[in-house]
Amino acid sequence: MNILEARHLSKEYNLDQRRLTVLNDISLSIAAGEFVVISGTSGSGKTTLLTLLSGLDQPTSGNVLLDGNEITGASEDELAPLRNRMIGFVFQSFHLVPSMTAKENIMFPAEIMGGVDAESRALELLQRVGLADRAENMPSQLSGGEKQRVSLCRAMINYPKLLFADEPTGNLDSENGAMVLSQLVELKSEQGATLILVTHNPDIAQAADRVLQLRDGRLLQSQGNADRFDQHIDTSQSDGLQL
Amino acid sequence: MMIFPGYLRREVFRSSTLAIVFILCVGMSLVTLTAFSGFSKSVNVSLLNDARKLQAADIIIRSYERISESLELAVDQQVRTGAVMRTRYNEFYSVVRTNNETNSVLSLLKIVEKGYPFYGSVKLQSGLALHQVLRPGKAVVAQTLLDRLKLEPGDPIQVGHTTLTIQDVVLSEPDRPIQMFAFGPRVFISRTDQESLGLIQTGSRIRYVYLLKATNQNHTESIYQTLQEAADPDRERVDTFQTAQSQVKRFFDNFIFFLKLVGIFILTLSGVGIQSTLTAFLKAKQETIGIMKAVGATNRHVVLHYTLVVMLLGCMGMGIGIVSGVLLQYALAQLLSGFFPADMPFIIAWTGLVESVILGVMVVLIFCFVPLYRLTGLRPVMILRKDVSAKVKRWPIWLSYTIFVIFFFGLVLRHMQDFRFGVYFMGTLGSLIAITAIANYWLLRGLRGLSIRHLAVRQAIRSLFRKGAATQMIMVSLTTSLCVIFSIYLLEKNLDATFVKSFPKDSPNLFFLDIQPSQQDAFKAALSKELQLYPIIRARVTHINDRAIDRQAERAKKRDNLARVFNLTYRHHLLTDEVMQSGKTLFRDDWQDIQVSVLDMVVDMHPMEIGDTIQFNIQGVPLTARIASIRSRTQESLQPFFYFIFEEKTLKDAPQTLFAALRVEPGDVGALQTRIVKAFPNISVIDMSETIRVFAGMMQQLSRVVRAFTGLSISAGILILISAVFATRAERINESVYYKILGAGKSFVLKVFTFENLLMGICSGVLAVILSQLSAGAICRFVLDIGYRPFLSACILMVTGAVLLVNLVGLLSARSILEKKPISYLREQQEA
Repeated sequence: MNILEARHLSKEYNLDQRRLTVLNDISLSIAAGEFVVISGTSGSGKTTLLTLLSGLDQPTSGNVLLDGNEITGASEDELAPLRNRMIGFVFQSFHLVPSMTAKENIMFPAEIMGGVDAESRALELLQRVGLADRAENMPSQLSGGEKQRVSLCRAMINYPKLLFADEPTGNLDSENGAMVLSQLVELKSEQGATLILVTHNPDIAQAADRVLQLRDGRLLQSQGNADRFDQHIDTSQSDGLQL
Repeated sequence: MMIFPGYLRREVFRSSTLAIVFILCVGMSLVTLTAFSGFSKSVNVSLLNDARKLQAADIIIRSYERISESLELAVDQQVRTGAVMRTRYNEFYSVVRTNNETNSVLSLLKIVEKGYPFYGSVKLQSGLALHQVLRPGKAVVAQTLLDRLKLEPGDPIQVGHTTLTIQDVVLSEPDRPIQMFAFGPRVFISRTDQESLGLIQTGSRIRYVYLLKATNQNHTESIYQTLQEAADPDRERVDTFQTAQSQVKRFFDNFIFFLKLVGIFILTLSGVGIQSTLTAFLKAKQETIGIMKAVGATNRHVVLHYTLVVMLLGCMGMGIGIVSGVLLQYALAQLLSGFFPADMPFIIAWTGLVESVILGVMVVLIFCFVPLYRLTGLRPVMILRKDVSAKVKRWPIWLSYTIFVIFFFGLVLRHMQDFRFGVYFMGTLGSLIAITAIANYWLLRGLRGLSIRHLAVRQAIRSLFRKGAATQMIMVSLTTSLCVIFSIYLLEKNLDATFVKSFPKDSPNLFFLDIQPSQQDAFKAALSKELQLYPIIRARVTHINDRAIDRQAERAKKRDNLARVFNLTYRHHLLTDEVMQSGKTLFRDDWQDIQVSVLDMVVDMHPMEIGDTIQFNIQGVPLTARIASIRSRTQESLQPFFYFIFEEKTLKDAPQTLFAALRVEPGDVGALQTRIVKAFPNISVIDMSETIRVFAGMMQQLSRVVRAFTGLSISAGILILISAVFATRAERINESVYYKILGAGKSFVLKVFTFENLLMGICSGVLAVILSQLSAGAICRFVLDIGYRPFLSACILMVTGAVLLVNLVGLLSARSILEKKPISYLREQQEA
């Protein structure tokens, strides 16, 4: 069953007097539980595609179905609860709220949903990623790797069906990058979520179930490469994943 | 919906500088109006609570003619039945001389009966009560009289035809503040001596006052009604202590009226500051808001949280504004203490404070609506794409602007209580802002088109147009505030130059009042100079075109009005400074009716035209005249002028006095005054140059207070400047880092910022000077009818001061940007 479908997606921007086509007629479908990488060179439209699929932005034409529901044209207030309950985001620049502690950042989506066990769940996740002692730290007191792990916890707190990750290791050194990726994939698998990850790193791409290759706003190919994840991720470096 | 108190707290404290500027803007918006309203209410409450003391009686009867027979009978009846006690005083000007006739001074005499005052007390230097001191043959005088005549208590003085001994010095009196403007010092005389003075004659300008004390104060209103019915409404005023509008109240109402205009102007500027600061504050929060929305926060959630942040900061601002307002109210009371009755208590009017809180909430909501509403248009995708802008519907923004205009107009009407004035004020302020905005637009456009070789200046000009720079808004705010301050300063300087410093050489400086017709030949002979005598007949206007004048409405006007007593005259020629405005001649040969020529200033008080009729009451006798012509004066000067001129045949037999104006060398004034008054004790001689000097001193004191408050509007402009620096902080850091990476030193960045601030300051200052020169010039020429001097050196000083201030504030706000190291900025960019 497809958790996400996109039909003839296009995105255009007006730049000064010019019309710029960033995405051109993209159609795809992603099955529940799949790990899909969107790959391509810089400026190929990877992040734009992710923003359209996740409902963060609206396409110029075409439509997106999330778990069978049409989200194209929905207002921000209609999309907000959908994002809150169904989607988790992990960004390259972490995007933690600077005025909230690590724990509060993680709790935030659960509290919006009205979850009563937000705090215990947040602490549990922090412990899973090895940051239990950092719960009360502000983002400015955390390293890049720690910030991204907090971001990962925040993405997972509402048990999302879909995880969107935009270059989650792009701002991290290789050691921290591997750790975050490992934790991301483990949590995704554990919760049966679907992971859509944007990267131009071929090593990560090879670990995905499928790679969507973009060039100049067009989808070139959809390539399957299952069961190769273990070759590329050194799970021995992960800390705190074991329950 | 869940509220996150910790988040709210941190959002407030993490943006400390902008939060402080926001709080100051809210505080600034309230401080002056709180102070003025509080002061106004406090004085009103105090005047009402102490109204009996301030009026010295329960019921007050005033007239510029002898009290009418019917009213006299009615008062007598009340006295006989024991319902009231009565005391009377007469007040008028007369010249007091030293016993050896070498020195004299025009003084304000108050001839009082035993019993005065019923409430409050006259404070004397000796500490004794007035009735213990003021016995027949004695006088109690103000210290200024002693100073000017070089006398001491115990010395004799000549008043009219009699000699009195100075018994004591008056420090304060209940029904008149010490510094209330008067042509001369106060002299108290016992009513027993009134006849021997020989000063009360036909047509003398005497204020007859009856003070009544009700035996049972519950009956005050019914006694008032009875007396009111017996009074002649055209010549007598009957008031209770609650309805009597004292001189203090009139002065205070007019002064506070002007201060409130300044307060509303400051509120408007502060509102702009609130809006621009909040915009900068929320701009800094855009990423946070984007993240919140990306993880599922709805618009309602985001707007509610930031509304709470705004209200939290707004409450702090309101607190600061109200506390500062109360302190300012105290300072104002101290600064103006001489103008109010002694011992006036300082009262914090709680209703005024509640009003300030309501006003504060409204100001915050109205000015914060647009920035908060724009949050709904922020899309979460902006955390990934910096070029995405907020998209919102336009109509709620226009609706909020409409609400602002209605609120502003309501506020103006609430404080002005005069619709016409409110419309004028709104129109003037709106025009000033519109003209300033247009002029600034073209000025900036001109700057942008300049081809500059100097790198730092060129970059500074570019910086004025950086994204979110709000240059236009800063310049409009600065220009309008500076323009108002400069205009007030220029008007004050011009009035001072015209009437005080360069008293026109050919202008008369001595006015002679109350010359009896029988004295005119002897008076002319005593002066041994040829001079014109103007007949004066005192009268009131009762009807225009058979419609009665609404005296209450007229008295409520802030400007000259038809309810007062007018001086009529008769002649058949125009004065040298008069021209015909309507009609060919003063009077028409083809009309048989009684004719009158009116001055255009009368038409300003009430619309009227040639052919309309005016009914006068001339000391009890009604007279209806038809308007034959309308005159205008060519310049404001100290030449005597008359609002109403009749034909000689109409008024020559009416009870009248004569008036004369004369130019005398300043050194000869004292001797001439003494000589004339010795020969004609009933004639009052007013030394206009001295009077103007005293008046100008008072005006300067008041003007300093007004300018100090107007100066606060500059603070509002400065807050807008600070908020604008913070709103463009990211862009400024970006620029300065790039300059540094490309090899420029800190001094280059400093130069660019300095030139940028200088350009804004100079443009605003110069534009403000041009606009203030135009407005002050127009007011001098067309409203005040006086010549105009531009005072350019003072203007240059003012512009220099403003430019330095803008530069100082701009650089201080940007100092953290100057210190920013390129590497730390680049690291931050990599993470963000």
